Amino acid sequence: MINIQDIRDTARDMLAKGEVRAVIGWRAGSRGMPAEPAVITAPEQADELVWDPTCYHNLALHLVEDRKFLAHARKTSGAPIAIVAKGCDARAVVVLMQENYFKREDVYIIGVSCEGSGVLAEWKLARHLNGAVPTAAAFAGDEFTFATAAGEKRVPARDVMADRCLECRSPFPKEHNVALGEDKTGRDLAAPFAALARFETRSEGERWEFWQRQFERCIRCFACRSVCPMCYCEECVVDSINIAVAPDTTAEEKANRIRWIERSATRSENITYHMTRAMHLAGRCVDCGECERVCPVNIPLRLLNNKMEREARERFGYEPGASIGGPSLVASFRDDDPGDFIR
Amino acid sequence: MSDNIYLPQLARIAHIKEEVAGERSIKTFRLEFVDGDGFEHQCGQCAMLSIFGRGESMISIASSPLIKEYKQFSIMRVGRVTSAFHDLQVGEVVGIRGPYGNGFPIDDWRGKNLIFIGGGCGLAPIWPVITTAVAQRANFKNITVFYGGRSPRDIMYRAELEKLRGSADVHLSVDKTEDGWNEFCGFVPSNVMDKAPPPDNAIAITCGPPIMIKFVIQNLQKLGFKDEQIYTTIENKMKCGVGKCGRCNVGKDYVCVSGPVYSWAQLKNLPQEY
Amino acid sequence: MSMEKILDKERLSDWIAALAKSGMEVNAPALEDGVWTYKPVDGAVRMDHPNTKQPPKGFAFPQREVFFSFEQIKGEAPRLKQVLPESPQRVVFGVRPCDGRGAVRMDRVFGNQVDDPYYQARRKNVAYVGLACNTAPAPTCFCKSVGGSPVSTDGLDVLLTDLGDKYFAQAVTKTGEALMAAADKLFAKASPADKKSVGKVHADALAQPQRAVKDAEAAPAKLKAAFNSPLWEELARACIGCGICTFLCPTCHCFDINDEVTGSTPMKGSRVRTWDNCQFPDFTMHSSGHNPRENTAARLRQRVCHKFQYFHENFGMLQCTGCGRCVSECPVGIDIVAVVNKVAEHVG
Repeated sequence: MINIQDIRDTARDMLAKGEVRAVIGWRAGSRGMPAEPAVITAPEQADELVWDPTCYHNLALHLVEDRKFLAHARKTSGAPIAIVAKGCDARAVVVLMQENYFKREDVYIIGVSCEGSGVLAEWKLARHLNGAVPTAAAFAGDEFTFATAAGEKRVPARDVMADRCLECRSPFPKEHNVALGEDKTGRDLAAPFAALARFETRSEGERWEFWQRQFERCIRCFACRSVCPMCYCEECVVDSINIAVAPDTTAEEKANRIRWIERSATRSENITYHMTRAMHLAGRCVDCGECERVCPVNIPLRLLNNKMEREARERFGYEPGASIGGPSLVASFRDDDPGDFIR
Repeated sequence: MSDNIYLPQLARIAHIKEEVAGERSIKTFRLEFVDGDGFEHQCGQCAMLSIFGRGESMISIASSPLIKEYKQFSIMRVGRVTSAFHDLQVGEVVGIRGPYGNGFPIDDWRGKNLIFIGGGCGLAPIWPVITTAVAQRANFKNITVFYGGRSPRDIMYRAELEKLRGSADVHLSVDKTEDGWNEFCGFVPSNVMDKAPPPDNAIAITCGPPIMIKFVIQNLQKLGFKDEQIYTTIENKMKCGVGKCGRCNVGKDYVCVSGPVYSWAQLKNLPQEY
Repeated sequence: MSMEKILDKERLSDWIAALAKSGMEVNAPALEDGVWTYKPVDGAVRMDHPNTKQPPKGFAFPQREVFFSFEQIKGEAPRLKQVLPESPQRVVFGVRPCDGRGAVRMDRVFGNQVDDPYYQARRKNVAYVGLACNTAPAPTCFCKSVGGSPVSTDGLDVLLTDLGDKYFAQAVTKTGEALMAAADKLFAKASPADKKSVGKVHADALAQPQRAVKDAEAAPAKLKAAFNSPLWEELARACIGCGICTFLCPTCHCFDINDEVTGSTPMKGSRVRTWDNCQFPDFTMHSSGHNPRENTAARLRQRVCHKFQYFHENFGMLQCTGCGRCVSECPVGIDIVAVVNKVAEHVG
């Protein structure tokens, strides 16, 4: 079991000694639970840090935000930045490093193992607690214990943990500077890509119908893109709402910037957006599940990304973020790469 | 014509003049309404110009409301829609809807000294006030025009400015001098300090790059101008032009409706986010 | 004196069927893909929903609205064809009071000084049959502290109150009266006992505790005083710049206008309005690259100030109705109640 004091002490210590300039972690949200991402810069703020089953956010995103802020402000990073990272978050950090988004020494990874309990899916919890609001939650091996106004409730972890946690490949943050919690890899849960396999029992026609319906519901809030650490492109090729324009950007560059879809959230535009995003994440997505969690209309986005990741695994033996050595999948070529698509 | 605030009228390009060449070139367009309905405008108001298939751009109407035959717009080539404008020829038809925003309270300024201070493309939004005042010369006391560009080639409305010299004191300046330039060399705010127009019975109207406006206002205050005597016109990214799309607000004000013309007394009370 | 009647719960689907039969498109909350959404119905409906994920603003203000089509041969004048929406008579059942008040605010914007013809074409044909909130509020509800209430009738045409096996139906507008009159036989007179029950149900609902913006009356002045505070950087630190808060908000109305080209010779297409969002980075960016709101702190400040200060300065009412969607759906937990309270506390 992880002792929250260990996380706080590590953070406080490193900030006090100036070894890191900030610590990205979680603090209690405005209503207690769920937790919210926090970036603390002073040692005394370390006491705000929490660790509970609502720490589902992929904090690697905030490393990207930090990096972008430095670039825009034209500052150098100075001391490294620390991040409290779950297994999934640590894999995301590894992908970013493989893509040279920052150097290994720029980031101090305080790894935290969820010890196989995963994190919560709020909607599953709501059903179990009949809408009662938890005021505290604790991990203990295979169980969550929730404190509510109506008393304590124990729930088996696999009944309320996020779908992606059920298929988790590695709950332990392999890449770390320091790691808290035990490595419970190899626990008995669903096989990877189980949800995808279930979905694929539908016929091709049924699946296409399904996706057309899903993409009609998309409101293009771009939460999926905004929450993904790997969607860091300053100018997204699909819809460049985040184009960076400088005083010296020419009229031609602005007139001709790539805009593959219209702002209208129609089926055709939405399909283009989501398919392009899935392709651009191929070999890079670590299945942190955030895109699916944040979608306000519950589009099962993980299925798209998992499809690409299964391809990466089966065709290339590649797992994004599994190990820091070696190049990224899409940035490398081997002579023995499968070529059966060449006819 | 139609009650649809988003449906443009059509206007034909009657005349195009290349004002300033180069990377951020400026062209002046004279548009004539195709249908004949058209609209009247006040000095300071703007219109949304359309190139169908490209989009719209909110541009200040640069001609005096006294001119009925055409409406004048000086457009700088900065992006998607303005580039398309620069590719147009005389005779082509564009969309126009308006007029939007508020006007300069020129009627309140009768009998006063008017001091115009413009920089870069900022001469265009105040040009209607200048030309209207000169056309109604007897209504005003002294008229002074300060205007500057980066270099002599960046001075717009050059010939028109020279023509003003009988009716107004014209003080031109360039940031960077060149051979043959015998007027002030330096930034527009400095030229203002140099000539030190007195604040008595005066109204100062300024438009230009934000940094220029900032220093002009500071210098005018140093010269004794009160905040109510200083007027400016601001801009913001706009889409609807009618205060509904939510984009152009400065605090509670939608610039397309409550602006773009403000006295400094009014503008300083809004959040400085423009 | 507004029309007050009783409708047996079993008769609700008959009322809806009658309205549908008369040619109206009837919409009601349905659970689809795990999300409560308004869907067209012709009979049975569910009214046991927590609030819908998206507010009903889409009925008058859809995500995409075609303004006009254009066709232009190079060198010739373009031909424009206005496209006003075909807007059937619509009624939306199950609208919560916070969303009714949201409609009032949307109406103010789109009817202010000049009419937005597209919004009006749709809005005049939409009626809202509200449902009073008589169970415990969601953990994120805060309507009471922003001038609303779980039993408010603002913006609604009819308000239904659940009395167990029947609804107390109160017509709020002439449109509401007409809706009820259309199936007059299904309704019974409300007895004094019924009115007493409703009074009690409403009183109980009002007494339910909610989260609160501590002093919403003072918010405009406090926000004005805090404009330059570095607190905004801290509050917006986690913001990822998506569009969830604005797109799900019952009063957010920002939109974009773009030309969508579908053919090149001759050039043709449509000018289209789409939802837009002050949280997107390029929302206020000028062509020159100058951006008055160039970071999330400024953009968060804009949203909060628009809701709690600017709208109030323009229209004399807060723009936030306390529905709580932005609070429950924000991916990183940014909480407008906490933000306003923190700013107020900071200013002192």
